[in-house]
Amino acid sequence: MQSWRRRKSLWLALSASWLLLVLLGGFSLLRLALPPRPRPGAPQGWPRWLDAELLQSFSQAGELPEDAASPQAPHGGSCNWGACFDTSKCRGDGLKVFVYPASGPISETHHRILASIEGSRFHTFSPAGACLLLLLSLDAQTGECSSMPLQWNRGRNHLVLRLHPAPCPKTFQLGQAMVAEASPTVDSFRPGFDVALPFLPEAHPLRGGAPGQLQQHSPQPGIALLALEEERGGWRTADTGSSACPWDARCEQDPGPGQTQRGETLPNATFCLISGHRPEAASRFLQALQAGCIPVLLSPRWELPFSEVIDWTKAAIVADERLPLQVLAALQEMSPARVLALRQQTQFLWDAYFSSVEKVIHTTLEVIQDRIFGTSAHPSLLWNSPPGALLALSTFSTSPQDFPFYHLQQGSRPEGRFSALIWVGPPGQPPLKLIQAVAGSQHCAQILVLWSNERPLPSSWPETAMPLTVIDGHRKVSDRFFPYSTIRTDAILSLDARSSLSTSEVDFAFVVWQSFPERMVGFLTSSHFWDEAHGGWGYTAERTNEFSMVLTTAAFYHRYYHTLFTHSLPKALRTLADEAPTCVDVLMNFLVAAVTKLPPIKVPYGKQRQEAAPLASGGPGPRPKPQAPAPNCVNQIAAAFGHMPLLSSRLRLDPVLFKDPVSVQRKKYRSLEKP
Amino acid sequence: MGSWGLSLAPPAMLTLPLYLQGIINLGVSENKLCFDLLSWRLSQSDMQRVEPSLLQYADWRGHLFLREEVAKFLSFYCKSPAPLRPENECEKEAVCVIMCASVKYNIRGPALIPRMKTKHRIYYITLFSIVLLGLIATGMFQFWPHSIESSNDWNVEKRSVRDVPVVRLPADSPIPERGDLSCRMHTCFDVYRCGFNPKNKIKVYIYALKKYVDDFGVPVSNTISREYNELLTAISDSDYYTDDINRACLFVPSIDVLNQNTLRIKETAQALAQLSRWDRGTNHLLFNMLPGGPPDYNTALDVPRDRALLAGGGFSTWTYRQGYDVSIPVYSPLSAEVDLPEKGPGPRRYFLISSQVGLHPEYREDLEALQVKHGESVLVLDKCTNLSEGGLSIRKRCHKHQVFDYPQVLQEATFCVVLRGARLGQAILSDVLQAGCVPVVIADSYILPFSEVLDWKRASVVVPEEKMSDVYSILQSIPQRQIEEMQRQARWFWEAYFQSIKAIALATLQIINDRIYPYAAISYEEWNDPPAVKWGSVSNPLFLPLIPPQSQGFTAIVLTYDRVESLFRVITEVSKVPSLSKLLVVWNNQNKNPPEDSLWPKIRVPLKVVRTAENKLSNRFFPYDEIETEAVLAIDDDIIMLTSDELQFGYEVWREFPDRLVGYPGRLHLWDHEMNKWKYESEWTNEVSMVLTGAAFYHKYFNYLYTYKMPGDIKNWVDAHMNCEDIAMNFLVANVTGKAVIKVTPRKKFKCPECTAIDGLSLDQTHMVERSECINKFASVFGTMPLKVVEHRADPVLYKDDFPEKLKSFPNIGSL
Repeated sequence: MQSWRRRKSLWLALSASWLLLVLLGGFSLLRLALPPRPRPGAPQGWPRWLDAELLQSFSQAGELPEDAASPQAPHGGSCNWGACFDTSKCRGDGLKVFVYPASGPISETHHRILASIEGSRFHTFSPAGACLLLLLSLDAQTGECSSMPLQWNRGRNHLVLRLHPAPCPKTFQLGQAMVAEASPTVDSFRPGFDVALPFLPEAHPLRGGAPGQLQQHSPQPGIALLALEEERGGWRTADTGSSACPWDARCEQDPGPGQTQRGETLPNATFCLISGHRPEAASRFLQALQAGCIPVLLSPRWELPFSEVIDWTKAAIVADERLPLQVLAALQEMSPARVLALRQQTQFLWDAYFSSVEKVIHTTLEVIQDRIFGTSAHPSLLWNSPPGALLALSTFSTSPQDFPFYHLQQGSRPEGRFSALIWVGPPGQPPLKLIQAVAGSQHCAQILVLWSNERPLPSSWPETAMPLTVIDGHRKVSDRFFPYSTIRTDAILSLDARSSLSTSEVDFAFVVWQSFPERMVGFLTSSHFWDEAHGGWGYTAERTNEFSMVLTTAAFYHRYYHTLFTHSLPKALRTLADEAPTCVDVLMNFLVAAVTKLPPIKVPYGKQRQEAAPLASGGPGPRPKPQAPAPNCVNQIAAAFGHMPLLSSRLRLDPVLFKDPVSVQRKKYRSLEKP
Repeated sequence: MGSWGLSLAPPAMLTLPLYLQGIINLGVSENKLCFDLLSWRLSQSDMQRVEPSLLQYADWRGHLFLREEVAKFLSFYCKSPAPLRPENECEKEAVCVIMCASVKYNIRGPALIPRMKTKHRIYYITLFSIVLLGLIATGMFQFWPHSIESSNDWNVEKRSVRDVPVVRLPADSPIPERGDLSCRMHTCFDVYRCGFNPKNKIKVYIYALKKYVDDFGVPVSNTISREYNELLTAISDSDYYTDDINRACLFVPSIDVLNQNTLRIKETAQALAQLSRWDRGTNHLLFNMLPGGPPDYNTALDVPRDRALLAGGGFSTWTYRQGYDVSIPVYSPLSAEVDLPEKGPGPRRYFLISSQVGLHPEYREDLEALQVKHGESVLVLDKCTNLSEGGLSIRKRCHKHQVFDYPQVLQEATFCVVLRGARLGQAILSDVLQAGCVPVVIADSYILPFSEVLDWKRASVVVPEEKMSDVYSILQSIPQRQIEEMQRQARWFWEAYFQSIKAIALATLQIINDRIYPYAAISYEEWNDPPAVKWGSVSNPLFLPLIPPQSQGFTAIVLTYDRVESLFRVITEVSKVPSLSKLLVVWNNQNKNPPEDSLWPKIRVPLKVVRTAENKLSNRFFPYDEIETEAVLAIDDDIIMLTSDELQFGYEVWREFPDRLVGYPGRLHLWDHEMNKWKYESEWTNEVSMVLTGAAFYHKYFNYLYTYKMPGDIKNWVDAHMNCEDIAMNFLVANVTGKAVIKVTPRKKFKCPECTAIDGLSLDQTHMVERSECINKFASVFGTMPLKVVEHRADPVLYKDDFPEKLKSFPNIGSL
């Protein structure tokens, strides 16, 4: 019985498990037949597949490597940079441009543009040595159309430059030539090959150009939010509160209290709405840019100027015309920080690339040079922050930290040492005292002597711990600002052999320069003024309550300005400086002011010595008044720049406790105050 | 069972013996509890979630063995008419077993029991083991889901890819037109669908997965690849996703076109065309990484797709629709497999390396010529021909007889060649970036991934194919500093945009989002600057060098409580300053009304009184609408000692430094080495890092920043402590501009007749301690010490010069 009972229980267990299995199996069969339905209400995402881990990769293991190469590059109908431009001609000294001479009588503008290119560092007179052949197609109105030039070669390495939309029929096939034209339509524009130019008005200044209109950083309170372009030119400010989409006639019930400004006046509003699809709308775009009115472009069908290098999202808003309510709401809600940044960027871009025909042409060439340079092209930061790529040469460096302008953005600081560069002119006395004073500075890294006179080099130089390099040879005055490779520090202390400075003065001036690495920091100053009587600029070295220049016979500045002076100034200006040595100071000050748009900085200078042995006497700096040809020089340079970049300052930076009635022991720069 | 374990996740391995034990207990001792527990568990819904397809994978060797046993048994004992095939689905077998067994039981069971003999014992044991096997097989279903499921996915449907609905495409169903090369966002994209979203985010809908077959039931493509599944999962998990097709602005088909070679072009196009919202492909986004096919390898997906946007890997300038398509990387599966720790920038063993296999012989010749010319510094690798184990050859590269690990070898090189294959986009680009090696891209007309937003000049060198022989000299001309920058940048690009399918998907959607909401777009810096640069850099809100015109003047803001007499004196004094254009009195006393209009001093400029709701220090820095000038002079109601010349000169200095705080008495912060914290210093020092705002000029934008953008709880803290609002302002301005203050004139103290009486030494001590605490508090909130120390102050050009006083512009510049 025992075994029977055991068997019975065994059977029971067996049947129970069978039952269980039948139930389970049947149930799961049922569930298989009816796929589970998602629970209602639960958010439906992409399903997590049970077998996700087991899915195959999109590329089979063997496939990628086997992906056998064919030597033919894929090609399409039109040109691109790699296929249609031969960079092998551009090796060595970068972009060399040959300009086809005009075939026949040319307009004054054409002539001046030619002159401007010929004066630039890109120009060459030989078509064979040129890497880019430039065909100017400028005279839109005269009806003159260029004919096929001689070295055409199917347009290879050619740039056809059209400042105004071409009225000419295409008299010859463009072939492989690049086209730089005003506001090309997006459909015909070949990115990375063609260049989009701004749509310049007829009367655009050739050189210099009007500065931006913005007088203050933030919009004035009460300024209109939006200005709309009128059909026949001019702008109309709109009251955005009343109408939903003020630019769209369909939904605007009330024209509102908008004011119309006819003619060529610039808009006075925070945003300027430009909705035209035709490239002509681009001229409004430029107007808005100059006025510091943030352009809001509604689905432009034309390419924004220099879009290859300029980051327009920082200065304009490109929105979809089909979403007017969203655009308007976005403008109204835009944060003050963004408005502030956009406004300032419009002004910077206007000043850097668009304010004159010359700038537009140079920017075009710079864009093409950047393509040729490849890795040594301007980084985007240099294009899109002041002073702009025309003034920040990529041949100097491609690292923004090497320039004086980008330390904030880069989170870097200028180097803590300087090089003293002492120019020894005609009398030819070795500046022993000066060398000692400079070498005494804790910040001095090296001393360079530019020995520039007939006398032989002295055999012995004072004993200093500083490395002393002598550069020998009779040099032109402009060579004072040559970028000598031996200069290894960011800061240069430019000196004349007859200057006299104390170590304290040098130390303090250098510490100040570190706070303002993009400016010139000098001891002695002069100023310019508008001379009503002569109808020109005047120059004075007398002590006044303000100044606009510092004398480079004793001044700190960044070594980048040597590169800029030598490589970016037109040859004519440097020749002028060589012929009239007093001008070199003025020229350097013009250059730095044009770049920084700021006045130089003056630091205190021992008064007694200043009177006893004025720095400015007889040296290459401006002389005392009777023999100074300076006023003339200021006018010549201002004409070449196209505007007056110099700005006046009314302050001097002194040490914190300067001449305060406290114990001298507390003061760091004591000898500055010694009588 | 061991071979089963190979394909099961570890938790299943551990629980299996327990389960067995339960069954044995059940069989032997009729353990009721165990039975209940088991039956409860087995009847849970997740038991039924295992799809049969799961059990069909051929490489489950153990599974096959199990099936074989079951099949053998069934064929024998259930008297199956034909031998059962072990390939049949397991679950059905188990059911068969049970059914067959139960049939037998019903027929013969009761009669068998009394006649049971020892010879039948083997039969029972076998029967028992069948039940056991059946239970184990069922048990598998229970464990299997546990190994995939994560607990937070309960809401998501769980199915097998094998199980998706099948859609039959008739041979004559419509085919979309070929892609339209002239498409742009404003012509081919329906932006009205995106108008719903107040947060400036597009909404993306994903079509449900379906399996498409043609008339003959032959599938059109692989249902979905692992990567495409990951991609859709990433989109589904992102903020962009919506499951409401009516609110969606962008549609992503679940038809996988990542690799053109795995699909049938015409039929795939037909499948696209029948999507419910296809509408000529408007607002549809297709992802493709391997376009084209032999022999000519088009650079864009060949599937006709009408107006659909294409996120493609390997576009050329001729197929890429600028501003419409998105160029994406070709994902490298190695990114997920291999963990290459970041290697710092700097010189590496090889200067240039080529690690691609299957290069065209012409290219290989060129590369080998480079190697011959430059020796050790160039390394050209190829496939390994003599490796014994074939499976891993994808991770090995050889040079002659030397074997290298790939992609580790890339970390040994400064530059890595990325040559065009038949396709322009190469997955090796991703490996190269991961290794922090600077890619040398030799593929004419190739549109680099995400080139719309990424600045590839910072991370790569693009060399035209015809210049391949010059590649070495081109690379050598790059300065070392720039190379290191590029190495860092390359690695950062990989981390941010190449690392995973998810990164690629989200970057693509972000680009499209930025096109639709351009006013909310991400900036160049956010896309391109590595985190380290973003941290260190300061973007000055007033970056434009601009000297505001003097004519604009300044607005003086006087904060007052109830010192009316002193206030009136201040007003009278300040009104003497030529450039003052408006005076604003902030009346901070709620219990007392300001004096009547007739009592106020008569001054030449408008005077406004603003009453505040609460007596708070921060009221002084509120951006009142009444402020019309950019320059603001904040001045206390007891500052009567400043001369008109002093104030006018202060304004002139502000014009030259409009982005700085320009004040009179300067203060300094110092690091106290003993206490290990910051200390406030007001002694005679040669340095300055703060100015007091008892009288200071600054740009009115800083009022906006102070009121709305002050980090942390500083603003409330200042109001609660009634102190240090000036230090907070100094911190704020220095932090946002990265620049130091300008101290003007020698003035060192504001002396006022009222406060001298209480200006005791002990009070001074507590004051200093409080101020030091403020500095420490603010420094910790800002996370850094933004204050900048300088050694200079601004004086008039001829200050204290030996020059006739009457000729000086600012003769009365005041005392200490």
